[in-house]
Amino acid sequence: MATASEDTLTKVSTEAATEFIKTFYPALGSNRESLSSYYSLEPTTILFNGNRVADGAAVQEIFTNQMSPTYYEVQSYDCQIINKAYPTILPGGGLKPQSEMGVKDMSFLIVVSGFVRYGEGRDQPQRGFSETFVLVPNPSAERARGRKDWLIESQNFRLVV
Amino acid sequence: MKSMKSRRGGNDRGGIRKRGPTRTDRDGDMDMDSGSARAKRTRAEKSALGGRAAGTGVGGRATGISNRAQARTKHRDSDLFERAVYSNNGQANVISGNKKTGGDLEQFSVRGWKSSKAASNRDGGLESLIAFLERRMNSFIKSGPRAKITKSRTEGDTLVAFVRPDLAGHMLRINNNVFAGAHVTVEEYTAATALDQELAAADPVPGSTADTKTKMTTILGKRFFPATKLLDLSKLLDDPDLQAMGIFHNVSTKSKFFPALMKVWELGFKTVAERREAVESVSLAENNLSNISSVTTLAQSFPDIQHLDLSKNNIKNSQAMIGWRWKFRNLVFLDLTENEISSDPTFKDTMLKWYPKLQTLNNVQVRTPEEVAAQKKTPIPVLPPHFIDESQVGENFVRAFFPGYDNDRNSLVSSVYDDQSTFSLNVNTTAPRATQTETAGWGEYIRKSRNLDKISHLSARMSRSFKGIEKIREVFNELPPTRHPDLIAKAEQWLIECHPVPHLPDPTGQSPTGVGGLSLMVHGQLEESIGGKIEIRSFDRTFILGPGNTPGGIRVVSEIFCLRAYGGHEAWSPEIQALSQIPQIAAPVPIPTAAPTPLAVPAAVPGGNVPEGYGLPRPGKSDTQLQQEQMITQMSGKSGMTFEYSEMALAGNGWNVELAWKNFEQLKATNALPPTAFIAPA
Repeated sequence: MATASEDTLTKVSTEAATEFIKTFYPALGSNRESLSSYYSLEPTTILFNGNRVADGAAVQEIFTNQMSPTYYEVQSYDCQIINKAYPTILPGGGLKPQSEMGVKDMSFLIVVSGFVRYGEGRDQPQRGFSETFVLVPNPSAERARGRKDWLIESQNFRLVV
Repeated sequence: MKSMKSRRGGNDRGGIRKRGPTRTDRDGDMDMDSGSARAKRTRAEKSALGGRAAGTGVGGRATGISNRAQARTKHRDSDLFERAVYSNNGQANVISGNKKTGGDLEQFSVRGWKSSKAASNRDGGLESLIAFLERRMNSFIKSGPRAKITKSRTEGDTLVAFVRPDLAGHMLRINNNVFAGAHVTVEEYTAATALDQELAAADPVPGSTADTKTKMTTILGKRFFPATKLLDLSKLLDDPDLQAMGIFHNVSTKSKFFPALMKVWELGFKTVAERREAVESVSLAENNLSNISSVTTLAQSFPDIQHLDLSKNNIKNSQAMIGWRWKFRNLVFLDLTENEISSDPTFKDTMLKWYPKLQTLNNVQVRTPEEVAAQKKTPIPVLPPHFIDESQVGENFVRAFFPGYDNDRNSLVSSVYDDQSTFSLNVNTTAPRATQTETAGWGEYIRKSRNLDKISHLSARMSRSFKGIEKIREVFNELPPTRHPDLIAKAEQWLIECHPVPHLPDPTGQSPTGVGGLSLMVHGQLEESIGGKIEIRSFDRTFILGPGNTPGGIRVVSEIFCLRAYGGHEAWSPEIQALSQIPQIAAPVPIPTAAPTPLAVPAAVPGGNVPEGYGLPRPGKSDTQLQQEQMITQMSGKSGMTFEYSEMALAGNGWNVELAWKNFEQLKATNALPPTAFIAPA
């Protein structure tokens, strides 16, 4: 693997975080059928206000069937690379070989601060939240349109105001 | 906020600059609502004022038009002015103890322009005054960025202008220059001068400011009942002391009386907290108010009151109260009996909508406490913290980190960061807050804030991320000193969650699959001392912890520190007292100076007798075994079963995770699994 420069690493990670923020939060509001596609098949921990949720499919189920209309607004967010050579276990088993690793084989941390309104209408109170994600490379080799380069490995949502 | 753009550097794009929006922005840190809500409110206020500004002041007869209100009616189409007026109403920053509430900007008061020829302009001469100030400053500048009034607002006859610190000298040089035929006075604007000016304006006998202050203090003393936390400002017109002062004889002093009274009140308290706690109820009954414009500053001085009595006034409709639409968020009791507004068919609905905690309106119950509580309910119930630790690494880290951050950042940095650690911070300047509190600027924090929503240039994104022990030490030492609440005595003010994360970089480079660690999320509050005043902020701090080259063997791999206005801690008080998996940071234990135990990796779940090195590559351990151990770890984490049962489930399904999971779900649904299959809650 060629060693990527700090510039490239910063560019790739911050742009990936931005892309994630710009699609995931709108999806929580109005594209809930797509939610499971944001998740790794075997996430370690998904938490909403201390409630443990098993996986992306369960998150999607909760948001599609149990949640009132919801509006999220991200007010501040930041990200950092955790592991720039993340060991991806390929779908067929075994580690992705070093020779095939590129700059996108990074895992990274995203921390978001914003507010959410539950229920319809702008008059609903704004509840501040803080949310932490760890995103890891998508192990799947498919090249379909809309394929996500990174998936949620862990997630922790908390209302804080 | 979009306003960041206007502050970024002083270089103008060309000769023609856009007025208004680019300069009259407010500090994000004073904001209560989202930008759009604010815009809506500003519009609403504007329409409320249309043709209505000539309402009565506290005085009774329809004469109490302040300069401000006059200006509003006259120039309400001017965007610049509207924003200035808004910031005047919404910004409770005048007596905040610290002089500069404009972030890094310096404030100057400009007076005397009201008697200039420009004062008869459509906007009262503000536009030309600002242009004049900028022109004068630019005439002093030989090179470098052009001078600019970054933002401004009016307070009666004073223009408060905010400029970059490097322009301070130039501003002062304009003092006594002639603007459109009038000499203008330019001085540094401080809380003290603001009060003096306010008092002087409300002063019936010019020059007796100190006397006025004393008398107002006496009047407030008589009307304040500490035992019941009531400030009774009813029937002010009939107050013999006020009558004796002659406050109400003069149109101008009458309208300025109330704001001055509020400032005198605020000065009587050392801290905001003390002031906030002193009063729960205010009465403004029987004051002949036809709208709230003359008493609007009440909302800044008493943002948290629960009871407000406005009975026996002349308030006609909700428009007459629109300035308080977003104020008094804790209002439980509101009395508007004997006001025309009470007979409006939409009155009750409007007030319920405006004040989410309102329970009693005109002495009738309109909402039960349960209904108030139900509003707060979230679709996903709030549970106690999820805290899955690993050999107490997370717990020990928290115990050491926050006292260390408060008391000895140098040692802290040396003990838990190494040359691969990364740190960055960001400020959410528009976060919702618990109460409408004054907030000091974000100073040092905002200069380092890496909010990716605002910081879009790659170079800035790079320079605001700090890697390695020395850079982190430097940043920590530049950030303001803090005091965090005690982790045990004030446990309710903290929310600390923790869970394992796999595949962190291995500092030894030996493990191709990396090493395990913890994700630790801490929400809480911190205090800073700013200009002798205690400021409370809320924060969210996420740490990724893993093995590293530190004295204790544990390093912060990544840390993101988010700051925001104080938001309280009620949001995480559990709705359901569930069986918590949390060994809540409980019994007092001596605080270690550094996290002592190395992480036993990866994601081992407590409760099981997990052998050292489980799930880790080791000499002699086959790849298959390693993979199986990792699958067991994951299965256990996901299902809550012990390692033993997790292994049974996997092995029994040919190590197919999906089948094993389905099998587990079936067994669980039919209660076929014994209690011993599950890890006992700690």
